[in-house]
Amino acid sequence: MARFIKPLRSRLLGRRKSSSGKDNSSQDQAVDNAFSNQELQNQDLSADLQANLLHIKEILSDCSDVVYREFDFAQDERIKLAIIYVDGMVDKMQITSQIMRSLMLDAPLVEQGEEFTRARALTLIKKRLLPVQQVEETNNLGKVIDAVLSGDTVLLVDGHACAIINASRGWESRKVEESQTEMVVRGPREAFVETIRVNLSLLRRKIKNPNLKIETMRLGEVTKTDVAVVYIKGIVNDKLVTEVKERLNRIKIDAILETGYIEELIEDNPWSPFCSLNHTERPDRVAAQLLEGRVAILVDGTPYALTAPLLFVESLQTPEDYYQRWPISSATRLLRLFTLILSLLAPSLYVAVITYHHEMLPTALLLSLAAQREVVPFPAFIEAFGMEVAFEILREAGIRLPRQVGQAVSIVGALIIGEAAVRAGLVGAGTVIVVALTGIASFAYCYSASISIRLLRFPLLVLAGTLGLYGVICGVLTILVHLATLRSFGVPFLSPVAPLSAGDLKDVAVRVPWWAMLHRPRLIGMANPQREAGGLKPTPPPAGRKQ
Amino acid sequence: MPEVGKIDSKQAILLMVIMVLPTGFLFVAAVTAHLARQDGWISILLATLVALLIAWLAVSLGLRFPGKTLFQFAEVILGRWPGKVVAFLYIWWYIHMNAEVLRQYGSLLVAAFMPETPISVFMLLIMAIAAYAVRNGLEVFSRVNQLILPLILVSVVILNILAAPEMNIKQILPVFEHGAVPVVKGAVMPAAWIGEIITMTVLIPYLNKAKEAYRIAVTATLITGFFMLITQLVDIAIFGPITAAWLFPGLDGVRMIHLANFLERLEPVVMVIWVAGVLVKISVFYWAAALGSAQWLELKDYKPLVLPVGVIIYALSIMAHDSLLDLFAFLGMFWGPYALTLFIVGIPLLLLIVAVIRGQGGSRH
Repeated sequence: MARFIKPLRSRLLGRRKSSSGKDNSSQDQAVDNAFSNQELQNQDLSADLQANLLHIKEILSDCSDVVYREFDFAQDERIKLAIIYVDGMVDKMQITSQIMRSLMLDAPLVEQGEEFTRARALTLIKKRLLPVQQVEETNNLGKVIDAVLSGDTVLLVDGHACAIINASRGWESRKVEESQTEMVVRGPREAFVETIRVNLSLLRRKIKNPNLKIETMRLGEVTKTDVAVVYIKGIVNDKLVTEVKERLNRIKIDAILETGYIEELIEDNPWSPFCSLNHTERPDRVAAQLLEGRVAILVDGTPYALTAPLLFVESLQTPEDYYQRWPISSATRLLRLFTLILSLLAPSLYVAVITYHHEMLPTALLLSLAAQREVVPFPAFIEAFGMEVAFEILREAGIRLPRQVGQAVSIVGALIIGEAAVRAGLVGAGTVIVVALTGIASFAYCYSASISIRLLRFPLLVLAGTLGLYGVICGVLTILVHLATLRSFGVPFLSPVAPLSAGDLKDVAVRVPWWAMLHRPRLIGMANPQREAGGLKPTPPPAGRKQ
Repeated sequence: MPEVGKIDSKQAILLMVIMVLPTGFLFVAAVTAHLARQDGWISILLATLVALLIAWLAVSLGLRFPGKTLFQFAEVILGRWPGKVVAFLYIWWYIHMNAEVLRQYGSLLVAAFMPETPISVFMLLIMAIAAYAVRNGLEVFSRVNQLILPLILVSVVILNILAAPEMNIKQILPVFEHGAVPVVKGAVMPAAWIGEIITMTVLIPYLNKAKEAYRIAVTATLITGFFMLITQLVDIAIFGPITAAWLFPGLDGVRMIHLANFLERLEPVVMVIWVAGVLVKISVFYWAAALGSAQWLELKDYKPLVLPVGVIIYALSIMAHDSLLDLFAFLGMFWGPYALTLFIVGIPLLLLIVAVIRGQGGSRH
């Protein structure tokens, strides 16, 4: 691994050097001053409740969603209390019944002869009167503000320079639903949601092991988004975890609203059209990745998790491959490989052959194609390019359009682009077939890879229109060379094919049965290569012992 | 060191194979048959044996100076200035050889596929891709090759099987019709071709396991020789002694394929093999030339030299020959003796002898 990490380390160092230039550092400073509560971190609470409240109100001025509630402790006017929380981010039932009710009404009942005094109030409250699962005591103002804004309830007690933070987070959240973008026929259906705690629990439920480590950090100077780095200790390569955390710690940005922000800030190949981190919304997929020795990055506020390192072959794999019977999985995976090639090459090969290499087609087919194209006023390149653009428009519109007008678009798309355009002689039927096939094929494999491939289809079309088959070959070779240059967290993108590790080919173009996949991928899971015991192949019982 | 990448033994074997094969497929049969007629296959056998010796020579030389390429240990052996001269000669050889390969590449595409396109377009595109690959280092084009070469070898085998109905194996008779001399003469050119394995002297410092260098060189030579032999036999079996009359017997052999009224006109497959194979072949020599120049000038990195070296190769390939026939005459008559005596056998043998006599370098590594 060291061999793979080295070049990447040096690249990182290079980047660091450039970021310590004058311009950047002054910009960093600006962000720091405006939004980090560095000065708050150094301030302590005072013993005076009113002073504390005033101070906090000043910091949270013009935040109309913050609620301040002052009341007396145990019907006793001498001891004043106040709670602070953000409306809508807390579980109101919990605040009413477990905090306020307990402190105001139930407290006198548990008095048991002892007298509440201002001095003893804090310890009593904390020990006996807060039936909340998680409380924390602090005297730091910055922590108090953070807690309030994260959905916790802060309790201030008069006469004590100290606040009690009650875990009371509870906000409106989407339920765990079926995955919308990564469908399977057989396999778990649940998908991540926008709340990081729920997502982590989904992972923990799949991997009930103390070695499943979840390290959290807060990124985004303004948004203070929770980010979790998840891995399985003992399987993952420790250097990879260090590397991921190092890259995450370098991030200094105002906001992290989606994993995409992080992806572009920590990837290996910032100029490439191909991703160097995988993203998925399926917990079973993340769990499988973790079990192979990868690291996952979850971000609060998005159902997409990142996993690294990413290999090119992952664009051909789906979670279902591992649940289906292996001959079927292998066949569909080969099919997916074919669709990947088809979606990259079909239109450009069509244009090249129609324009420059007629001799490659069987005569009958050539004649029928020529007959269709007789009325078409454009060269094949313009025709195919226009159709591809039209298809992309339809696809994009299909994503953005309001659900109610969905039918209109599909009718317009299918009829006008297909039928009517052919009948009007604007495009040949052959072109429509090729473009439609390409479009469908591009959805048959991993979506994130298909976006990159779809993009590359256009330069290839231009090459096909200008240089024919030669241009297409050169284009493909360039893509191949580019893919060979890519690395994802030090692991070559094209491995295990190039560089070849023969043992890992069991899970590339085909998927061999589970009893034969004894090892984790070599370059990723090398810290702990053995995945299962050998000799698990089921055998029928000896003939003599028939039931 | 200018190059930081390391490749494993499998990658090295594949790299050494593709360094020879793509041009071999299409050109060698004609050149060899020109002299040896139907005995061309014996010439190839002979050439392979010679190449094995060359491989041994290259690896023995390379292993004596671990971590040093030919461009560096020449100085150690001969002293600073004579060493520099030898290294410069090799840089020239790699540039020249690459220019010739590039010209063959362009010529074939123009002559056989797209006669109306200027040759410079073909050569410029492939050089641009090669420059991109070379800039990214040895590891990158080794990986590309790892994807490409297996596909090429499989396609070649399939094409040969498909061409089987056209073959008449009796055409290889009579053996030794004109005695042994033409056969030996015919072996010179393929020996120079397969003998390009001398590039091992540049590659050895970048192997994961330098100890396996002998195995790598021998395996690569045997694979290359085997495929050259098959090609030669197939071409002779299809065309007979007139193989020499074809410019690109390999391509014309594929043109003969007609099966089931459907599998015909398979030349585009040849074009794919040709372009992909030559890309890596050019990259290897291009890399050797750029790396050599950097080491000759004692630079830390060869990447700044990629563009200048590429421009020289490109310009040379355009200026070197007036026509396809000129190119063929040059390759058939001059290239074999020139490369073989000077660069493949002559200088390395001299270096090895001097090193042994002076007791320089150890076999320890």
